[in-house]
Amino acid sequence: MFKKILIANRGEIAVRVMKTCKEMGIKTVAVFSEADTRALHRLQADQAVCIGGADPSQSYLNVDKIIEAALSTGAQAIHPGYGFLSENHEFARTCQEKGLVFIGPPPQVIRDMGDKMTARQMMETADVPVIPGLSGEDLTLDDMARAAEEMGYPVMIKASAGGGGKGIRIVDRAADMPQAFEAARREAANAFGDNRVYLEKYFSTSRHIEFQVLADREGRTIHLLERECSIQRRHQKIIEETPSTAVGPDLRERMGRAACDAARAAGYVNAGTVEFLLDDQGNFYFLEMNTRLQVEHPITELTTGIDLVAWQIRIAAGQALTLDQAGIFARGHAIECRIYAEDPEQGFFPSPGTISFYHAPQGPGIRNDAGVYTGADVPVEYDPILSKLSVLAEDRDQAIDRMIQALNSYVVFGVRTPVDFMADVLDSEPFRAGDVFTDFIPRHFESWAADAGKEPTAAGRDGLPGDAVLACLAFIAHDLAGPADAGGQPRVARHQGPFHTLGSWTL
Amino acid sequence: MAYHLETQGRTIDLDVTTGPENTIVHIGTQSHTLAVERISDHEIMMTVNGQQIPAWISSGPGGKTIIVNGRHFQVLDRDATAPSGTSAPGAMPDQGAGALTPPMPAVVIGVPKAEGDWVEKGETVILLSAMKMEAYITAPYSGRITAIRAAEGDKVMPGDILADIEPEEAS
Repeated sequence: MFKKILIANRGEIAVRVMKTCKEMGIKTVAVFSEADTRALHRLQADQAVCIGGADPSQSYLNVDKIIEAALSTGAQAIHPGYGFLSENHEFARTCQEKGLVFIGPPPQVIRDMGDKMTARQMMETADVPVIPGLSGEDLTLDDMARAAEEMGYPVMIKASAGGGGKGIRIVDRAADMPQAFEAARREAANAFGDNRVYLEKYFSTSRHIEFQVLADREGRTIHLLERECSIQRRHQKIIEETPSTAVGPDLRERMGRAACDAARAAGYVNAGTVEFLLDDQGNFYFLEMNTRLQVEHPITELTTGIDLVAWQIRIAAGQALTLDQAGIFARGHAIECRIYAEDPEQGFFPSPGTISFYHAPQGPGIRNDAGVYTGADVPVEYDPILSKLSVLAEDRDQAIDRMIQALNSYVVFGVRTPVDFMADVLDSEPFRAGDVFTDFIPRHFESWAADAGKEPTAAGRDGLPGDAVLACLAFIAHDLAGPADAGGQPRVARHQGPFHTLGSWTL
Repeated sequence: MAYHLETQGRTIDLDVTTGPENTIVHIGTQSHTLAVERISDHEIMMTVNGQQIPAWISSGPGGKTIIVNGRHFQVLDRDATAPSGTSAPGAMPDQGAGALTPPMPAVVIGVPKAEGDWVEKGETVILLSAMKMEAYITAPYSGRITAIRAAEGDKVMPGDILADIEPEEAS
């Protein structure tokens, strides 16, 4: 077992990985940029090395600096987290060459699954269902147009080297094809330095369902059930849950088996995720495989009770996967909300700054993976995720209620957060009914505004005014209240009447 | 004492009368009794009509961020705001008639509109990328785009005016 691990990441995921390391008695090394000198992951590590400037290219993406930090501190393994270098096969290879264990799959697997076309072809060979489409080298516009005619519009042109929702063009009819083809290739070349594109049938009403897999070096492969990730905004996941309302026991078994087949076909080792698209006919298709720990892994940990990071470390250390498929089951329902520093009143634009006050929700069935604290900075240079808020409850309705209460108790001052928006999404009729599809946000919440349509002065409940008026009362009350007392009677006002100002007097 | 508070784009006028026994706040025909205890730097406990209501509050230059019943409000005192100053804390800086500017350093990744185009309030005018996320600058009101000063690939800073929109004439 490793004695020391370096975490090549920052923020909440670095903090989360270090927690499991500490529990396992493994020393932790953090790397931090000049913008992160007071970051939580730096503060919580056993050792910390400053690796460069704020810009990721100088620090968190700087392979040489990270390797150097590992070697100089005597770390034996590197956990890459998610994002940054986690799916960089060259980084994984460099680790190996320098005698460091990369906690993840072999470099070649990262490379294969990172190329969407290669991944697609591998899955076809392994009889894993793939989305009807066309892939191959040197596809011409004619090839695409012909294939699109055959499978029927709408279709989607996707960048082979793409990911994270980028480099995608939806084509509704044949007439739009030539322009879309050129635009997609140009965009792919600009964004990924690779202009190869492929074609897939486009399903407008679909679900994004992914399966967690674990595999050891001897090829033992299991899945840890699914995650429903259909609530997305601009192709970014914002709310995830497990189990999925669309997946019954039979479908779960078939998809789970396909996920393991996919992992085996890829030669997968360690923790990974197989993403599927579920159409409205109950057919599922391989989308892609993520060769890293996912952001939303906590909901799987909550329902299965399994520490995925611990298994990542054990597998990387050469231990056998002693969990067997029959022993994997989920209990209850879990939901996760990603809490970003973003301003819902400004199109959810990032809202960097300094957190003047942070108070996370607590209570039964609440888990908050945070990378921030009161006084922490949210730097401009990085993904503005503050925390991942997850809940576990007996069933879906209770989980929704629990999450809404948790969001209502989430207090952050100094940066903006979209907790009101998320609470409204969770409380909405389509969400409660389980009608979650990938077009959920555009369809139901495109032009959301807090309390839109509510008359601010309308009455609330129990003889109280509505929330907007309560906020105004709070504004006034705050003016009236003095500095923090050690308890004491409620103040009525600071108004100094004659009884206060006259001094001693007799009647 | 009169308060003219603004929240969620609406103005709410309140009148506060403080007496030796209690404080009463009048809004139109409604009246509510109000008492307050300070709990900590960021939390107060109000008693409204006899019921306890906690509130989290953070004060800033433009107003206060208030969380009550789990909902966030930006509340500002119109009497405390300079006539030509920013509206709510966190809003884009005063832009002048119809100008659009990014709230933080960003890269332009799309310009779906052109000079001369008519836009409705809320329509996307410029697409930006910042902090690895994409965001849209939307028309704050309906009107005609009189100028576009950004092209794909441009790096833009707060204060850069990316487009001008001439508001439609109220009829």
